[in-house]
Amino acid sequence: MKKNLLLCLLLFSNSSFASYQLETVLGDLDDAWSFVFLSEDKILYTEMSGKLKIASLSDKSITNIDNVPNVQYAGQGGLSEVVLDPDFKSNNIIYLSYSAKDKNGKSTLFLSSAELEKDSLINSKVLFEAKAPRRTPVHLGAKIAFLKDGTILLTSGDGFDHREKAQALDNHFGKVIRINKDGSIPADNPFINIKNALPDIYSYGHRNMQGLVVTKSGRVYEHEHGPRGGDEMNLVEPSLNYGWPAITYGIDYSGAVISPFSEKEGMEQPLLHWTPSIAPSDMIYYENDIYPELKNSFLVTALVSKDVKKVTFVNGVFSQESLFSELNERLRNIQASPGGTLYLLTDGPKGKLIKVLPKEL
Amino acid sequence: MKIAKYPFAVLSAALFTVMLITPISSLLNLIWLASVDMPVGLISSLEVILFDFQRMGIALYGVVVVGFAIAFSIAGLISRFSSLAGKYLYAIAGSVAIGMALFLMVELLFQTQLLGGNRTILGKMLHIAGGFLGGYFFYFLISSDKNYTFIIRFLGIFYAYWLLGLSLEWVFTPVNASANFGFVLNELSSDGQNALLRDFTSLFVATFLFSILGVITLNPAWFFSAGIVYFGAGIFNLIAIYAHGTGFNEIFIFEFILGAWPSALALTIILKEKKRV
Repeated sequence: MKKNLLLCLLLFSNSSFASYQLETVLGDLDDAWSFVFLSEDKILYTEMSGKLKIASLSDKSITNIDNVPNVQYAGQGGLSEVVLDPDFKSNNIIYLSYSAKDKNGKSTLFLSSAELEKDSLINSKVLFEAKAPRRTPVHLGAKIAFLKDGTILLTSGDGFDHREKAQALDNHFGKVIRINKDGSIPADNPFINIKNALPDIYSYGHRNMQGLVVTKSGRVYEHEHGPRGGDEMNLVEPSLNYGWPAITYGIDYSGAVISPFSEKEGMEQPLLHWTPSIAPSDMIYYENDIYPELKNSFLVTALVSKDVKKVTFVNGVFSQESLFSELNERLRNIQASPGGTLYLLTDGPKGKLIKVLPKEL
Repeated sequence: MKIAKYPFAVLSAALFTVMLITPISSLLNLIWLASVDMPVGLISSLEVILFDFQRMGIALYGVVVVGFAIAFSIAGLISRFSSLAGKYLYAIAGSVAIGMALFLMVELLFQTQLLGGNRTILGKMLHIAGGFLGGYFFYFLISSDKNYTFIIRFLGIFYAYWLLGLSLEWVFTPVNASANFGFVLNELSSDGQNALLRDFTSLFVATFLFSILGVITLNPAWFFSAGIVYFGAGIFNLIAIYAHGTGFNEIFIFEFILGAWPSALALTIILKEKKRV
């Protein structure tokens, strides 16, 4: 991996993608965090304040969904990710991640499932409550993905003030979690028989992971916010330690050294790291044909660099290009519609959903 | 120099306190790293302590100066209108200032604990103890007349300390150092990387040495040498912007500050020596 990093090639160019047309299809989205396509025309999206809504992209109508779990909307917390069950067409089940208070009044990360029945959620069930209590809802992670075997992966951030706990297995700070759809724990989880380790941990030593992708080949990729510098993209494998905060390429916001080390045996190196930070906020692996030049690339939205990084790997060597920087917007989320059209979600109280039209149109 | 006595004492006590409290975060961090079997040694420990002192210390310094200015003013009023007086009043004021500053940084600003060393009870107590000693040092400075060379040397050390941090950053973590100056090191050609690293590193190391030599010898030529380098950087920055059409880079303000600071020290030495003659 180190050899790959040494060989890595960085390319930054806007010029070849300047001809994309970008069309705002929805506006005034209030702190929208994630969205998912119900059809080519309809999206289901979350707003951090705790609202779940369906929007039609053609007639712009917006419908509020009832019975959404109560969330703690503060700091970086609130209603976060929404995803559809892989069998959504037959069971109407969706999954939501969010921050809320635990029984001791501390903030933590929750994962719930529910059936989407017209304009309401029914049969809601809390599948997971992170053992990661914190004073302030920050660094929650909260990304959800499905492995090919149908189990759920959930990212649980390091809670900022609790970063050292990312190296311990008795808590959910800085972990990727794996559970079954009913909340039970898969029998083949890597730490299930390890004393004092929580059995739902899949990998550890992470910071604040806000990109999580499972490719068609079944590989799991995540990216995570570093502190000042050291944003990382990792290939996630069960039981592995990704090093935070014992090894890192970043420094603390205060300027302090987090660790003088950037590598150690037994701790994984990132596939790539961004220094200075770009603040990666979401990621997809694009496998459609609408934009041939983007096929088989990771598309990473960024809050600080205000663009989408197109990342490709060839024989372990990565290349990177900057897309859509002409928007000059903090980008929160990216999704491809069922037909393969790309949509970008901008961050903040006046968020927009932007459709990316292929070059030839 | 008498008029400047109190502001100088606040600035000096704040620096002294920052020197005491930044290693708290560094040491607690190093203890944790060692506890998870990281190969913490002498060099890596020094690297952490020096970097923290320079980078986190600069950020903390402003906070401590404001806190001390308020706390020592109140303590001064109390001592004037009451029978309470002496070193312990200022020492207590210093500890209250640090305690309040750390508390308000969390509650009013960040909602999280930015200072790693302040996350534990022990860390909090050590920070407050640092404030106590800072207040004591303030009392020491205002309670007796100091020779002007003490002040020159103190301000020269402060200047050198800042340059030392920049030098270390360019030597040990050039990617981060470049990023702080707006460069993405990996985007530059190999020759460009080489030029950037050697030129910036030699600039900061040389001016650090000039200022240290000035502190040791009190020869104004050393301070002027550092000043000329940074005045030059500021002037040629402006020429680059307005004569050659490069992008506007406000770093010239800091370059002029870095030029003015040692030049002022050098001029003070010359004037004082003239008076003595």
